[in-house]
Amino acid sequence: MTSDIQVQALPVQGRRRSIDFSWPTFALLTLVLSVLVLLPLFWLVYYSFRSDTGAGATFANYIALVADPTLLRAYGLAIGMALAVGVLACIIATPMAWLVARTDLPGRRTIRMLVTASFVTPPFLGAIAYEILAAPNSGIVNIMYRSVFGLEASEYLVNIYTFSGLVFAIACFTFPYVFTLVANALDKVPSDLEDASSILGGKSMTTLRKVTIPLVLPAMLAGTLIAILQALTMFGSPAILALPAGFHVITTKIWSLFQFPPRLGLAAAAALPLLIITVILLRAQKSILGRKGYTVLGGKSGTPRITELGPWKWPAIAFVFCVLSLTIILPYLAILKTAFTGTVGDPINLSTLTLSHWRFVLFEFSATQLALRNTFLLGFLTATAVTAIALIVSYLVIRRSVPGSGFLGVLATAPVAIPGIVLGVGLFLSYANPTFQLYGTIWILLIAFMTIELPAGYQQMSSAFSGVHPELEEAGRIVGASRLRTLWDITAPLLRTSVVAAWCFVFVGTIRELSATILLTTANTKLVSVIIYDLNESGDLGAICVLGIILLAASFAVVFVANRVPVLGGSQMNTRG
Amino acid sequence: MAFLELDGLTKSYGPLTVVKGVNLSVDKGKLVCLLGPSGCGKTTTLRLIAGFVPANAGEIRVGGKTISSAHSTVPPEGRNMSMIFQSYALWPHMTVFENVAYGLKLRRLPQSEVTKSVRTILSATQLLPLENRYPGELSGGQQQRVSLARALVIKPEILLLDEPLSNLDANLREEMRFEIRRLHDEFRYTTVYVTHDQAEAMTTADMIVVMNDGRIEQAGSPEDIYERPETEFVARFIGGTNILSGTRGDKHSVIGEGGLVLRCGSGSTAASGKTAVSVRHHDIELSSAKPKSADTNVTVGTVTRQIYLGSHRDYLVSIAGGETVRTVAPVNVAIPVGQEVWLHFPPEKCRALAQ
Repeated sequence: MTSDIQVQALPVQGRRRSIDFSWPTFALLTLVLSVLVLLPLFWLVYYSFRSDTGAGATFANYIALVADPTLLRAYGLAIGMALAVGVLACIIATPMAWLVARTDLPGRRTIRMLVTASFVTPPFLGAIAYEILAAPNSGIVNIMYRSVFGLEASEYLVNIYTFSGLVFAIACFTFPYVFTLVANALDKVPSDLEDASSILGGKSMTTLRKVTIPLVLPAMLAGTLIAILQALTMFGSPAILALPAGFHVITTKIWSLFQFPPRLGLAAAAALPLLIITVILLRAQKSILGRKGYTVLGGKSGTPRITELGPWKWPAIAFVFCVLSLTIILPYLAILKTAFTGTVGDPINLSTLTLSHWRFVLFEFSATQLALRNTFLLGFLTATAVTAIALIVSYLVIRRSVPGSGFLGVLATAPVAIPGIVLGVGLFLSYANPTFQLYGTIWILLIAFMTIELPAGYQQMSSAFSGVHPELEEAGRIVGASRLRTLWDITAPLLRTSVVAAWCFVFVGTIRELSATILLTTANTKLVSVIIYDLNESGDLGAICVLGIILLAASFAVVFVANRVPVLGGSQMNTRG
Repeated sequence: MAFLELDGLTKSYGPLTVVKGVNLSVDKGKLVCLLGPSGCGKTTTLRLIAGFVPANAGEIRVGGKTISSAHSTVPPEGRNMSMIFQSYALWPHMTVFENVAYGLKLRRLPQSEVTKSVRTILSATQLLPLENRYPGELSGGQQQRVSLARALVIKPEILLLDEPLSNLDANLREEMRFEIRRLHDEFRYTTVYVTHDQAEAMTTADMIVVMNDGRIEQAGSPEDIYERPETEFVARFIGGTNILSGTRGDKHSVIGEGGLVLRCGSGSTAASGKTAVSVRHHDIELSSAKPKSADTNVTVGTVTRQIYLGSHRDYLVSIAGGETVRTVAPVNVAIPVGQEVWLHFPPEKCRALAQ
């Protein structure tokens, strides 16, 4: 019997010594990622020590950085603004997250979905929405205020072109970070921890204070740090709201150093502290979230405890409605109204409804078509390239197929610490020179977007890879499939959904980018986000709103299509349970 | 004839050596169990055989041909082996049929032959009615059988199993043990089976290889391992035992710390210094009076714990010299805690251990 079987043994056909591609791939990727990440940083540091007028190494830029009161003021205002945004976002988001996650508030799921969807709103579009609503002269709120009380044209109720207006407008679009982290943390606090407090005699307020809040405190702090970081490195909203108010934050100041006469060395020196602050904030966030003892273990501990609001229901609803109106409902209504009426101040009735802005944007305005084409082309290229790189890097890192592959992971994550504007400066210095001459082409933008989006793509792909048990691949190898064949037959189909998700994520992130773009774009390489910014300078809010709606519609459409088309792996995998 | 040979096989990860010069030869058609506690290097040994990890030193030969050495490693897909993984590793995007057929398709067999072979193995593993299900729709035991079928269908030269039953619940595990043995008797593949469960090893194996700290402690038939352990580790790991340490009396006797002299029917004492004796729990005779039949290997002690377990009573007795002996007695031998008892260690059940 034994010998019979062995005679029949089926050898693997075409058994060849396959070439191991891991090393060349590893080397190539290390090179690509180093160029993407390290090169701009290198030139940034290099130029910060170069004089703008003559050759030679100098500390003049750093001296100017400390001595120049406008630069210091810009840093001071930026940090103050960012801290204020963090505090405000935390104050708005934490009670709201608690209401949504832990009480019997009606419509909890819808509220959560709305807040999550508001992530999609580009912050600069939000700032423009608030210009429409709360500019001192033309703002809808102020027009209504004047007409209700019959006041002079110089009177106004709210003014968004102020420091507090800027803080408010940015907080409206950064509070979802805090909200999502805190709400998720509250979901994970198992009810038995709170039950344990109750059984020992803790009243519900005591339990909330002593158990629940301390457990979500790390999430709160981490979310607040992200909000601070976002505010600090943001270019669009400050450029739209702070410049008319007559002050600079650091991002707009760096941008102004690029205006004629350009002071590149000073810009580089001014950008470096921003990079360092970002790294510090990210480290702080990581150490807060990484404290093991604080991490709440999910799983078997049952559903979270729900507090009954009772008579507090109505104030709670009013609070949530108020927050949602300010952050989502009013801005979107303002954008929609402006896109379909003649001017911002027009009342809404049949006679004022018009498609003139749409006609202007789509057919008359010469820059639109090029910008739309550039934007979607870059979105497509970036998403594809980033997903591909992230896929291979995470394979090498997670499967540890090459010693030292962990370094690739570090490189792929590093850009998360590089603010868009800093990267913009670095890339300008790297590629806008006689050797590369990439400035003025879309390639420099592609490089920028790839660098910016790499961490997000890598994070998604590597968590997807960790979800595929290595034994699934080994099972393929041992029955006779080569490494590549296993990747193709087994790993690829299992990752398809995640790949599509990562692609969409990167695409949506790319088409709304402004901070790095603003330094790298020229007349030939305009993008929709830049056009929106340009149009804002000329005050054409109707056209901006049309473009904003197009951007949002494209984002939602991409996500929708990716989830529905079975070839892309949308719902197909899920039905198989 | 040795079919699979491991020769001085060594594997280290950095400064940590996990497999330390393992020598083993397995005859064709035999089922060998690598048994040991977690971290003993058994799974790494299996993965070395499969070709997932390259060796640092030593060789692996199959039928005289070297497939792993310090210089070269034939990739797993070139070894004509199969493996059953701890997680089963069923591909969730393929049906039962597709999972099993995958290996055959790689070998470019005609479709009709693929279908025929898959159907044959599916009926041997009682899976035929489930062939169109996805793995997510199967119970744990069914998934386990699919994994077996997928491994067997390609008629491997060597079958490797990595703790295949550790994810099943107790009843199913026992059933699958016999199923694996039955399939082995039917197909007679040379099989290497890794487990940490001695009962699993006893039921399935032709040869048990006990591993500890990257080395082979002892290799032999289940009877050898159980009845004639050569080291304290093996005696302790396989079945409950008492290890009584002492000094060498002569080649066949050991003097315990309390002066108890144990004559040993088998094994040999260490040439000098400390040595030990292993006596299984159920081999010790316990009585309230001094046994008349025996005059050697007898000592008196005090009951420190007694537990009624339905079929028998479990005793802890502390004896002179401070050692505690665990033993079992029939239910009708009920001696309360604190009372004096006599223990008899039959010489033929005492095994002297040199190390």
